[in-house]
Order: sequence, then structure tokens, then C-alpha cells
Amino acid sequence: MASDVTMPRLSDSMEEGTILKWLVDEGGAVKRGEPLVEIETDKANMTYESDTDGVLVEVVAKEGDTLAIGEVIARIGEAGEAKSGGEERKEEPEAEAEEDPEPEPEEKRTATATKERPKPSSTNGAGDGGRVKASPVARRMAEELGVELARLEGSGPGGRIVKADVEAAAGDGGAKPATAEPEAEPAEAPQPARGEAGAKGEVEVHDLTRLQQTVTRRMAESKATAPDFALTLDVDMTGAVALRERLKEVAEQAPSFNDMVVKAAASALTEHPKVNGAYRDGRFELYGNVNVGVAVAAQDALVVPTIFGADQKSLGAIAREARRLIERVREKQITPPELSGGTFTVSNLGMFGIERFTAIINPPQAAILTVGALAKRPAVDDRGRVVARDQMTLTLVCDHRILYGADGAQFLARVKELLEQPLSLAL
Amino acid sequence: MRYREALNQALREEMEADESVFIMGEDVGVFQGAFKVTAGLLEDFGEKRVRDTPISENTIVGMGVGAAMAGLRPVVEIMTVNFALLAMDQIVNHAAAIHYMFAGQARVPMVIRMPQGAGHQLGPTHSHSFEAFFLHVPGLLVAAPSTPADAKGLLKAAIRDDNPVVFIEHETLYGQRGEVPENGGPMRFGEAAVRREGEDVTVVGISRMAGTALKAAEELAEKHEIDAEVIDPRTLRPLDLDTILDSVKKTNRAVIVEEGWPHGGVGANLAALIQEQAFDWLDAPVQRVTGADVPMPYSKPLEQAAFPHSEHVVQAALATFRDV
Repeated sequence: MASDVTMPRLSDSMEEGTILKWLVDEGGAVKRGEPLVEIETDKANMTYESDTDGVLVEVVAKEGDTLAIGEVIARIGEAGEAKSGGEERKEEPEAEAEEDPEPEPEEKRTATATKERPKPSSTNGAGDGGRVKASPVARRMAEELGVELARLEGSGPGGRIVKADVEAAAGDGGAKPATAEPEAEPAEAPQPARGEAGAKGEVEVHDLTRLQQTVTRRMAESKATAPDFALTLDVDMTGAVALRERLKEVAEQAPSFNDMVVKAAASALTEHPKVNGAYRDGRFELYGNVNVGVAVAAQDALVVPTIFGADQKSLGAIAREARRLIERVREKQITPPELSGGTFTVSNLGMFGIERFTAIINPPQAAILTVGALAKRPAVDDRGRVVARDQMTLTLVCDHRILYGADGAQFLARVKELLEQPLSLAL
Repeated sequence: MRYREALNQALREEMEADESVFIMGEDVGVFQGAFKVTAGLLEDFGEKRVRDTPISENTIVGMGVGAAMAGLRPVVEIMTVNFALLAMDQIVNHAAAIHYMFAGQARVPMVIRMPQGAGHQLGPTHSHSFEAFFLHVPGLLVAAPSTPADAKGLLKAAIRDDNPVVFIEHETLYGQRGEVPENGGPMRFGEAAVRREGEDVTVVGISRMAGTALKAAEELAEKHEIDAEVIDPRTLRPLDLDTILDSVKKTNRAVIVEEGWPHGGVGANLAALIQEQAFDWLDAPVQRVTGADVPMPYSKPLEQAAFPHSEHVVQAALATFRDV
């Protein structure tokens, strides 16, 4: 008897996944623990391994298909086993239009009454005739709260979305603006579509990847909800430059200036707990761990891997970890656990010569620190002379709901102090 | 006080209070009732007011209808609910309809008492639960008390009511004890009792099933951390739908428990009312727990299997939360 393989939950925030590539052909043998399929989640591309031995009897979800967690993507069974309901499945999209709003046909009702209940599946049935399976009260509340049912996983009988699921989604900020569900969205490199030529010339239309969708949603959410303000100051990096020169002599790969900023920020965060916190649902949350995310441009989008416990790590350890994470991002090896759990974010565009910039807070974090280019710039020394000094501009963008001007200023001043006395970073 | 004693007390008090109240039925006098509900009444009130009749159900009810139209307040006893089928012509075509047929010029203030229910191995001709038959008929009031206090209070109210009342007792409840208020007056029809308050699922139990539902609620609380609210409607017509709907709007889930057959049953009707009036508050389909869709078996194990027990109610309640 073949068993169903369902869309796995590969990250906390994952609601659906896109099949990128089947690594086993239909009819091919699969072994427990061996790669079965590549799946794109909201955060990363993952290889999902089979949890059973057998033959891939049927590939239900084709490459490029996007399905909710729990929906059947394939069936694994014994060699020679027939596909189950393959015919039915293909007919479904046509059948759905009639089936959906109409009352059930008489036959079907009788069948239900005589206990031939449809076998419960573990999904919300989004793929089952296209209608999301949700209880009446869940539907009413979802509409009132602006929760999109198709994005929820039902915990009720037969995977039905019930009141509690809607409440939970609305409660943890999951009350996402209801947007139209993109249909069968392209997996990774969406093929541009060509629109009609007008005053703007020929239009290429790109569908967003899952990652781009996530970035879009979270950035808009941040701007729409966080009243932000920015604080800027210049840091004299003369000491840091000298330190790095000396570190280069002893280490094969000396820590970068960005690593120093991460280290300085992590140290300062332990002294300013509100900066290492979040405003959520009318309360402040102050986090016990200092997990600094480092924004990395990759995969045609923005990825923020996390350096966990950054305050506990030495500058060298931070440097090694950052390098490893960035490499994994660029090679698309990064996994969702490595992208979650951040309590603060550092973003650096200095390598492009940007002197200073503001960034959008990575919600629900309290602040984001941006790093501009390090360059020799004129400064006035203690004796009133204009001198050329290595300088770098830091900008702290704060969520005013939790961080006030003085809080942010004190934190930023502490980061500056640490960077200007960089020996403390090497401790 | 036992349920049968509570009924006896109601009859006695109403007969004392109103001379027009009299009793008619098979074995109600000398034999003191098949279930001893009329014990002592022949002795105290005499043959004119406690009348034994031949085995002739349609005639018994017909005489009651005539007596009621003429100004008396008959309380007729049908030995079991199954025998009431012989009197359906009088009950449906006459008792229920006369008030309407004569534009209110005649009325039928009559009570038709009858016990129902399985458990005594009396087979398919004695043991059914037919409240749904009577609920179906406009013009009849239907009571189905499940406690001694309700039995007394509702029977007093039924006797005083100017409408024909089908008063459904339960064979296995006659011996059940319960508190009955001293000098308690008549209760109002159409007021449900919340037997247990709860937040998670509404369980409506009809007649004896109110007790079964309560037992299930305790198990749900102990073993499954589900806090069930148990409602006993007490009268099916008029029905206190407001109390049930308020509860469903709170819990978002409903289970209806009855001893009768599933098709066209009390639960089928109530489930329809709930979905019509509280659809947007439901978190799961309304569950029904009913007697089996068969004539009542004589065999003891089969009879036990043919009506609901608390474990069936627990399963149905769980099914409103998850796959079971």
C-alpha cells in the first residue's frame, strides 16, 4: 500500500513550498535518508530526504507547483503498484467549478449518511477542488481579522481550519493582508513574460520567487507598522585599521571591519537590552540571547543569516562564522534555522562606496544598524587642525515604539566607543 | 424522591387543587399503573376520577379529547409510547387539530402521559423513543423530563395548560432519585436547563440522554480536558432554542444526543435549526448521537448496543475537535 509524501514544514514561518526539482524519477527507487526532492520555502531552498524505502510510485506535485504544508506531493510504495486515483486527480480542476458552490449531489449525501465518510487528509484541502476547508466561524473571523485562510494549516478534523487556527494566526501577527494567491508560481528563475509594447516599450513581467515574496511582505509590514527614526554618527576607525593590520600578520583571514561592527554591536547590546528586543502586541519583549543577523545580497533578494550568541563569541569566531554563512547563502545551501532567531541586524553597503544610508527594520526587531564606507576623511583633531582620518559612518534606524532617541543614541555612542578602542573587541 | 413519586405527587396535588382533573388509562386504578405512577390515587380519589379502561388506546385518547372539550382536564396514560401509535388518529387528527379546526372555540386541555425507552428487554413493540413523532405535529406540546424535579414541575404545568400535551416519561428513570423542591409549583414550558456549564462544546441531551450527556461531559473533562456544556431542553415544543444557540455561539460546537432513530429525529431537526441560525459560529459540523437505525432488539447485548451510551457521546464530542 503506497503511502503519501506530504509537503514538509521546513521552517517556522513556512506556510507553503514550491517543488523545485524531483531528484528521483517517477518509478525510481527511493531510500530512507536519500535526497528525494528540492523544495523552495519562504526562506531558502532545501533538499528533502525520503523518510521511507520504496519506489516513487507517483509524483503528485510537479516541478514548479506550490502547495500548502501537509498536501500530498508524491506517493511512495512498492514496485509495480498502480498510481492511485491518477485519473481522478487530473479531472479535479474541471470538476471543481461545478462541485464547489453547488449543494452536494444526492448520491454523495447518502454516502455520507451511511458512514462512507471521505478519508480525512492532513491538509486544509486547499488542493481538494480548490476550496479551502474551513469552518464557518473560522471563515467569518478570518474575514473580520483579515487573515488569509489559504495560508493557514488546519488543525481540525480532516485538516479543517478552525477558529483557534485563525485566532493563532491573527495573534502572532499572521494577520497578513489578504493578497491574491499566486497560482502555480515559477520555482526559481521565473521566465519573464512579455507584455504589450506601450510608451514604456516592451514590458518584461517577472513573478516573484518565494524569497522575494517574503522580503516584499516583511519590508512593507515593517514600514507600515514601525514608526522609525534614524541616528547617525561618524566613527574614527584609525585604531580599528591599525588593529586589523596587526591581525592580518597573525591570522590567515583577518576579521573584516564589518565583523568588528558586529562584535561591537553585540557587546553594546548586552548593555542596552531594549535594543536587543522587540515591540510586539502592545508589549516589549527583551531577549536573553544576542543573535545578530547580517544582511547579505543574494538569490536576487535579501537574506539575513544569523550569528547566534554573538556577544559570547570572540571576534575571530564571529569572523569565521560570518564567512561561512555568507558562503552558504551564495551557494544556496543556507537552511531556515540559520536564517531565523535574529534579535538585531547589521547591514553594510560600504563596499559599494555608500557613505551612509538608512535601512528598513527587520521586524519585529527594535533596530537595524547600517554601516557606510570606511575612508580617509577630513577631521578636526584636539588641537583644532584639519587632519585626514580613517572614518566610517554608522546609522541606527530605531522603532520608536520601543526605542526612544536617547536609548538609541546611548547604544550607538557605545558602539562608537568600542570601535574607537578596538582592543576591547579582541578580548 | 424518585421520578415516579414526583409524578405521583404532581397528579395528586393537581387533583386536589382542581376537581376537573381526572385520570384514565389501562391498569391505572386497581393495579396502580404499569410503573406505579398512579399508586394510591384510586383509593384517595375514587373510581370517578381514576378510571381503568380496556385495552383500547384510540378510544382512551378519544374519550380524553371529548372530556377535555367538555371542560374537564383529563390525564390519560398510555402504557408505553409504542402503544400511542394506536391512538395517533385521536392525537394528531383530533387533539392537536381541534383548537385550529374550530377557530379557537374549542380547546383540548389534556395530558397524554407515556413512558418510552430501551433497557428492559421489552423488544421492538414496547421500547422505542418516539418524541420525534410528536414533535412533528403542530398543536401538540411535548415534554420529556429527565429528573424528578422536572417530572413534577412539568407535569403540573402540563395539566394546567390549555393545550394538549404529550408528556414523555422514561422507563428507566422511574426509579431514579433526585431533589424535588418542597411545595414546588408548575414549571414553565420552553425553558431549557443548563446541567453543566462549559466552554468547549455544547452537548444537548434529550430525555434520559441528558444524564448520559452529563456523564460524558465528566469523562471529557477528566480524560480529554474538554469542558462540555450540557443542556437539557426539558420540553421539545416549545423549544428553548435561545439557550442552545447562545451556548453554541460560545463553544462553536454542538453534539445532540437522543435515544430515538436517526432519520427525521429530534437531533436532525435541531441540527438544522442550529445551522440555520448559528452557521457563522460553527467550528465543526453538528454531531448527532442517536439510537441505532433498527427496530429495538430483544437480545440484551443487542439492545444495549442499540441506544447511546456516554462513550458514544465522548467520541462525537471529540470528533468536533479532531479526527477520531
